[in-house]
Amino acid sequence: MNTIIETDRLLLRPIDGVRDFPFWAEMMADADSVKYLWNNTPCDENAAWQNMVMNMGHWQVRGYGFFSVVLKETGEWVGRIGPYYPHGWPAPEIGWAVHPAHTRKGYAYEAATACLPFVFEKLGWERVTHVIVDGNTPSIALAEKLGSKLLETRFDETSGRTRLIYGQDRP
Amino acid sequence: MKPLLETERLILRRVDPDHDFEAWAEAFADPDTVRYLGVEPMNRQQAWRSMATIMGHWQIRGYGFMSVIEKTTGKWAGRIGPWNPEGWPQPEIGWTLHPDFTGKGYATEAGAACIEYAFGTLGWDEVIHVIVPQNIASINVAEKLGSHYLRTIPNIPGMFDKPCHIYGQSKP
Repeated sequence: MNTIIETDRLLLRPIDGVRDFPFWAEMMADADSVKYLWNNTPCDENAAWQNMVMNMGHWQVRGYGFFSVVLKETGEWVGRIGPYYPHGWPAPEIGWAVHPAHTRKGYAYEAATACLPFVFEKLGWERVTHVIVDGNTPSIALAEKLGSKLLETRFDETSGRTRLIYGQDRP
Repeated sequence: MKPLLETERLILRRVDPDHDFEAWAEAFADPDTVRYLGVEPMNRQQAWRSMATIMGHWQIRGYGFMSVIEKTTGKWAGRIGPWNPEGWPQPEIGWTLHPDFTGKGYATEAGAACIEYAFGTLGWDEVIHVIVPQNIASINVAEKLGSHYLRTIPNIPGMFDKPCHIYGQSKP
């Protein structure tokens, strides 16, 4: 499948529903991986499949969406990272979720850094955000490392959780 | 968007998010509409995600629920068609109508066209309909479509936590 963005160690491409599914399902079944996601309870394979195809549908509606991030060297699926804006989301964001076998290697930072010029130049966004559940310390650190600042705090009624909206404007 | 199927009163085509979303969100917010779907009434965020899920299903399977449009008004009347997400017992023809469009025989009219499509175009040998036992209206539709009771399953993991009847029919 076509690579859209390439970094030192990673390829970012659209979701391949057949090839990516087993790894997508592993991540969504892992309690630590999903703790701060919108679906914050671990999913079985069937629910993970629906979550994956929802994200494929997001691409069709918006023309963009989470990329599947794979290791250049081995092709292993590392996670889903990229522009995301489902209906009712506070603002267009660059989000990240990394498979538990690939955390703590700087992949989310590497991929998200490459997504910033993509959303400003290719998608024409004026502002990018990161919607982060209060308490998600690693994601707050990553947002700050990307140069984003806390813009706003909002309570989300659907999830019953407080969200920190980090972000930055087009340079 | 190009019609995929046409009946006397209805056009069936792929989901068009710009045209369909408002009516889609209305339907899935209605407690009577979702009562037998194994989900709670949806807010707009959840309805958008359910619509995107159907569109992703199309991409991966090459078929999926179609939007049903009433010819005389151009209005979105529901979603009907082939459905086979991961973990489903087997490929089905399913139906959900917007509450303004129930009681007109639309599910039967569109469902019949979809069964023909499943056998003729998709090459299925059997179609099923997963129906909650309390959903008498859908059991009536299944029987009008020529399907009969096949078996009962205890649940569908991740999607239905209650027993479901499987109605169905084989390719003629």
